[in-house]
Amino acid sequence: MSKIITYIEAISEGLREEMRKDKSVFLLGEDIGTYGGAFKVTKGFIEEFGDKRVIDTVIAESAIIGAATGAAIAGMKPVAEMQFADFVTNGFNQLVNITAKYYYRNFVPVPLVLRLPFGGGIRGGPFHSSCPEAWFFHTPGLKLVAPSTPYDAKGLIKSAIRDPNPVLYFEHKFLYRHIKAEIPEEDFIVPIGKADIKREGSDISIITYSSGVHWSLEAAEVLSKEGVEIEVVDLRSLVPLDTNMILQSVKKTGKVLIVHEDTLTGGIGGEIAAIISEHAFEYLDAPIKRVASLDTPVPYAPTLEDYFLPNTKKVIDAARTLAAY
Amino acid sequence: MPTVTEKSKKQKTISAKISPSNNDSLKPDAQLKLYYFMKLMREVEDAILRLYQQGKIVGGAYSGNGNEASAVGSAFALEKSDYLFPMHRDMGAHFVKGQSVLNLMLQHLGRDTSLTKGRDGTTHYTDPKLRIYGNISPLGAMIPVAVGVALASKLRNDKTVAMTYIGDGGASVGEVHEGLMMASVMHLPFVLIIENNHYAYSTPIDKQFLVEKLSDRAIGYGIPGVTVDGTDVLEVFHACKTAVDRARRGEGPTIIESVTMRMQGHAAHDNAWYVPKELLAEWKRKDPLVRFEKKLTDDGIITKSKQESMSADINRQIEDALKIAFERPYPPAEQASEGVFAE
Amino acid sequence: MAKIEVVMPQLGESLTEGTIIKWHKKPGDKVKKDETLLEISTDKVDSEIPSPATGIVTKLLFEEQKTVAVRTVIAEIDTDEKATVVSETPKAAAPAPKAESPKPEPPKPAVTESKPLSVTVSQSVPAAPAAGRFYSPLVMNIAREEGIGMAELEHIPGTGEAGRVSKKDILAYVQTRKAGGGVSVPVSSGGTAAPRIESQLKHVETGDLAKKYPAPQYEILQMSNIIQKMAEHMVKSKQTSPHVYAVHECDMAKVDVVRGKNASAFEKREGFKLTYMPFICDAVVQALKLFPLVNSQIEGDKIIIKKFVNLGIAVATENGLLVPVIKNADEKNFTGLARAVNDLAVRARTKKLTPADIEGGSFTITNFGAFGTMEGVPIINQPQVAIIGIGSVKKRPVVINDAIAIRPISYFTLSFDHRIVDGALAGNFLNTLIKRIETVDENFVV
Repeated sequence: MSKIITYIEAISEGLREEMRKDKSVFLLGEDIGTYGGAFKVTKGFIEEFGDKRVIDTVIAESAIIGAATGAAIAGMKPVAEMQFADFVTNGFNQLVNITAKYYYRNFVPVPLVLRLPFGGGIRGGPFHSSCPEAWFFHTPGLKLVAPSTPYDAKGLIKSAIRDPNPVLYFEHKFLYRHIKAEIPEEDFIVPIGKADIKREGSDISIITYSSGVHWSLEAAEVLSKEGVEIEVVDLRSLVPLDTNMILQSVKKTGKVLIVHEDTLTGGIGGEIAAIISEHAFEYLDAPIKRVASLDTPVPYAPTLEDYFLPNTKKVIDAARTLAAY
Repeated sequence: MPTVTEKSKKQKTISAKISPSNNDSLKPDAQLKLYYFMKLMREVEDAILRLYQQGKIVGGAYSGNGNEASAVGSAFALEKSDYLFPMHRDMGAHFVKGQSVLNLMLQHLGRDTSLTKGRDGTTHYTDPKLRIYGNISPLGAMIPVAVGVALASKLRNDKTVAMTYIGDGGASVGEVHEGLMMASVMHLPFVLIIENNHYAYSTPIDKQFLVEKLSDRAIGYGIPGVTVDGTDVLEVFHACKTAVDRARRGEGPTIIESVTMRMQGHAAHDNAWYVPKELLAEWKRKDPLVRFEKKLTDDGIITKSKQESMSADINRQIEDALKIAFERPYPPAEQASEGVFAE
Repeated sequence: MAKIEVVMPQLGESLTEGTIIKWHKKPGDKVKKDETLLEISTDKVDSEIPSPATGIVTKLLFEEQKTVAVRTVIAEIDTDEKATVVSETPKAAAPAPKAESPKPEPPKPAVTESKPLSVTVSQSVPAAPAAGRFYSPLVMNIAREEGIGMAELEHIPGTGEAGRVSKKDILAYVQTRKAGGGVSVPVSSGGTAAPRIESQLKHVETGDLAKKYPAPQYEILQMSNIIQKMAEHMVKSKQTSPHVYAVHECDMAKVDVVRGKNASAFEKREGFKLTYMPFICDAVVQALKLFPLVNSQIEGDKIIIKKFVNLGIAVATENGLLVPVIKNADEKNFTGLARAVNDLAVRARTKKLTPADIEGGSFTITNFGAFGTMEGVPIINQPQVAIIGIGSVKKRPVVINDAIAIRPISYFTLSFDHRIVDGALAGNFLNTLIKRIETVDENFVV
């Protein structure tokens, strides 16, 4: 049995099911209770679970992240929300100095989930559109996931809640209502640390995640008509990275394009390129290319933001160049 | 929603209840215990300082010399099930909570069987059985975490309390404010002890803040605050007991400012030449251990021979602990890459 | 009695030294544990240092006012405890078994070393590419696996950017090859280069020659040392030895069988490909033993017979022709010869040959078959009296038992110095050597 569901509904459903299953799961964040969340992910939750499990907090990101950490080490399973991923910087010290290092130093697990609505394309300007995952990709002790489809969104929020480690859950706010797909009615999870081949192909591997997956799939359709078959590898998890699947795909095609919405320099694409060149050098038939956002803050005016962001056409152009090499 | 005037009336009545009361309501053997823990803290820290000077402890070593009454009196107000988040000058609190001298020595010596398996030093450890959650170097950062533990307490309704500490300097950190904002408005079972020992490294309090009493910051959060003499272990104990009981009853957090003096440098490498000698001399006369010893002697609670046997017992504990600790090796090098994630 | 060492402590994370201000004890004095032993001064603080043990001070290793690095032993105390000495620096626990080599997937995040995924690092380093075409790592990988040398690679049509050979192109070529087409297979190990020597030489832009041969119609290059030496040597050789040439056919069919059977095991074991060269070298060495005159040297009216074979192998490098020598090749077996040939070729191309490597040859093999040359007439490498040139192995129609058969044939040319080697000797020598090659045991395990 299956049903059609949007990306945002899938996240809500995953959260709801886990909260019904495990009483130690509770939510905290700004405006998530009475208001149902800035994007309405938690609409109806406070009515069902009460204000002890859906907590409207003060505006204090370090208190939100720190309190989530404290509750987690005391044995509960908090799911904290940053209203916009951009605001995580207000709680940065808590996240990288305490949450990330806690288990390594003390062998006490910190089973918290931090939900981060990220990404642009909504004309939100520099402080409501960024992709901060690279800072935390670089911080040992944190797991990072970034689903691109409703299926992965539901499966990953469940895995994240069940994981004994801190998991940063990057949900793309543009994809919330733009992506709809079929998911099974039965319970399922998506394991953390496993990538997924969203489309098979033999000529070019596109390594990507979140919004990048959709641009890449569209580009693949176009290139297919030109006789070039693209394989789209959806990372789904950024930490741990499914290096095996990445290398397997590279060995199959010999040509690699990395696509992510995060800015180019220092985005995780560089690390992926390094891994590929180190472990699959002799399988490369072309240099590794990347498509990413410009190295600037996210601009506001529509023309500027569209120029800043990657899009299907930019992926098509890069793939064509690669195919011709 | 209460109006502003209604709220401030309520504020004054709560403050009145917190003022330290009858000092003699603790039984003699409880007072002896307080004395024992203070002495243990003093002796163990002295031993650690010597080890540092002999090059056997690397990195750094901190002491709470002069802070014994504050550390011990406060923790003594907790139950076994309560949560303690001590700072680096509260080693006495660790002992009150049941921590062993051996574990503290293993921690300071970075040995393989320390509670952090050598991954962090000094008092930066967590002992979930004893419910001790050590601080980290950026002071103030543990406040929101302690608040989170108090939040869990409240959500589970298990009547436990979280107690934590911050210094006169550490209280300037933003995370302290954010933690207090959450704890106060949600009425969490949380107690914050601000240990005002007059110096934050080399920064005296007149370069840190303008207010006369740090406990006045409680007004900003709408919670009770009180200032006590941090060298009087009974005064500290009673104020903390009141605050802990309040929290357990669900009445929310309290700020207790405990005024003491930092008798040594910021750390073992710092000889505090910037602290006026007269200030130190003045506070030496108020040495919490000496004062309490005199009081117990005057009250007939302790005898000279009891003191001596206590000293002997403490010295033996330290010697035994060091003997075991020095036999342990450092952790094997390869372990450094393990244990980033829990399975 | 146990000896305790007292060290200069590090009283502060960034400190590196301390100065001894005053010793409170002298040798022979008794000292109690924690009693002040000395006073020191550092950048941060002056401090009294307590003794780590009870006993008798035996040695003070530094005087007052001396500045000493932290952790240096500054004094010794003899304890009267029978207990074992408390070590100052605890050793780490016995190391765990070595961490396994990093895998691509990170269950443990620490991947500290870079290792290529293939088990052995291939010895057959492909030489510099020719004619300006770039071959990607993947294409080179496929070429190596299929035994396609550089010479052959150059002939593969490329549809990639700037006409480069792409993965598609080489895979298509491999298919054709399997079906019987393709360029002739080179004989040497790892493929030889058709190097662009001109690109390595210095340009000469001034002087009389520049006037006589002006740019842009002319370009003047300075001959390198190697080229000058080669030029001199070649002229002199022709002036010294009356060159005569004998050409014989060699049927490589049986060698191909042996190669086919042993190729992968050999490569796995040795790290480089099994080519024709070791078969040829082995046959040459055995033949030279039987015909020592071909291995000799002329001094005036004397013939110097050599009781050893130092086999020179001509190698084309990007800097010019080099002839490194396998010393005492007659003492080596098949595998030994194979390894020696490969080693010299690799070192020649990576510029790691020593002068000793180039001296003392008694006979030379030159393999121009790698360039597609069917037959050649090489110049003798003085002071030797003969040189053998190996032509490309190509499938040719031959007559066997009055029927036409297709066999992999190579033409061997012996250039010999007719002062002492005559046509009969040359013919016998070649017959012997070729017979050895042609009758190799098909069950020979390399």
